[in-house]
Amino acid sequence: MRALKGKRAVIVGGGSGGIIAANLLAEDGMDVTLVTDNQYHFFQPANLFIAFRGDPAEKYTRNVSELLNPKVRLRVERAKRVDLGNRTIFTESGIKIDYDYLVVAAGARLDYDSLPGLRETREMYGDYYSTPQSAAKVWETVKGLQVGKFVIAVPDLIIKCPPAPHKGTFLAASYFKREGRSVEVELLYPSPHIYTEAELAKTVEEKMRTFGNITFRTSFMIDSIDVEKKTVISMSGEEVKYDAIVSIPFHKGPDIEFEPSNVKDDDSFIKVDKNKLNIIGYDDSYAIGDCTNAPTSKTGVAAHLGAFTVWKRINGENAKYSGRTNCPMITEDEAIFVISDYEHKPVRQRFSKLKRLMEDIFVAMYFPSLRYPKRFEPIFDAYFKATEPEVLGERGW
Amino acid sequence: MGEKKLVDARGMACPGPIAKLTRAYREAKNGDIIEILATDQGFIPDIKSWVESTGNKLLELGQDGSGVIRAVIEVTAKK
Repeated sequence: MRALKGKRAVIVGGGSGGIIAANLLAEDGMDVTLVTDNQYHFFQPANLFIAFRGDPAEKYTRNVSELLNPKVRLRVERAKRVDLGNRTIFTESGIKIDYDYLVVAAGARLDYDSLPGLRETREMYGDYYSTPQSAAKVWETVKGLQVGKFVIAVPDLIIKCPPAPHKGTFLAASYFKREGRSVEVELLYPSPHIYTEAELAKTVEEKMRTFGNITFRTSFMIDSIDVEKKTVISMSGEEVKYDAIVSIPFHKGPDIEFEPSNVKDDDSFIKVDKNKLNIIGYDDSYAIGDCTNAPTSKTGVAAHLGAFTVWKRINGENAKYSGRTNCPMITEDEAIFVISDYEHKPVRQRFSKLKRLMEDIFVAMYFPSLRYPKRFEPIFDAYFKATEPEVLGERGW
Repeated sequence: MGEKKLVDARGMACPGPIAKLTRAYREAKNGDIIEILATDQGFIPDIKSWVESTGNKLLELGQDGSGVIRAVIEVTAKK
């Protein structure tokens, strides 16, 4: 174990990865500063519960300060520039912070301008990717729709929580059914199956068919949304009419300048070693979670496991991130988990009520597990080990 | 003659090579050639199916000795 006491760590980002990393390193006696442009932390998956169940946003919102070990110095400000060679970051107001170790966990930047109609439809109907407030707007939309077609539009697949479009579809369909409304929910999806992996797609498709009010189109490449005509237009000219629409925005890397600039890819994602998570070319700087170019899903699990990997590496251990995902796809009362890693495609899954209960337990554990990551680690660790793709194998779960 | 683009999706199991391809396709115009490299075995049926349903042209599809799948498509279906 290295002597880390008094060494300076800077963490950029107040999402789950940033908070876990900050708390772990602070417990080692490091001098930790966390820089985030948002004083609030949202439990992002709950945007679905706000959007389709009307849950209050406050239930899933905390001040970043209350989730941090009091020893962590919190600076609520945008990180503007990182100079990797000189181990320095600059904030928007010009404050300079030197570090011995850097962890960038700045998340993905949502882009509503890459597709005509995306920004307008978000303003009109809300979305469940950006903020709890925008998710609350979806709830207004859903509540107000008495008859017709509710479209969930997916223009791109490099998105946070890849099963979230399907979750929205299931939860919306359940709501309209329960209310006895004649509303069809249609999912527009760019890949050739209704989930990116073919076997899992069969399971999802079967489940969708049992609803009776869900339809979908695959290989549907969205070109634009005509807000006046309430129509989605595909790149080959196909048109889909809607009465209300919720679209998934494009995802890009964070809006932070890096020196050298070539550590970012064409979409601004930060280039990392996919196992060690260090920023390419640097052994004292790391990036975790949605802001990286690691070839895995953009999901909280990657941020969580990434934070632990980086903490161990800073402590001198040869820890590696396997690319493990564990993305829950829920209906009102059932769930499956999309479990994969760099070496294994998602394993077969069966919808079950037990898995849905596990998701509810995770929601209850979420905030304490950020504040006390070491205390919760044995629970997560046991779960991850028991459900490794290698362990579940062909039989699935 | 259109532009040529290379999409490297090797080592990507989830969300998979189609995710990277759709990003490149969005930027492309008719006549462009997109070459995709992948290691996910599911990509072979997926690319056939995607090209057929989107109405584009699959020029080449093969796998080398090390397991790398190479697909070359011509963009023809954009309106």
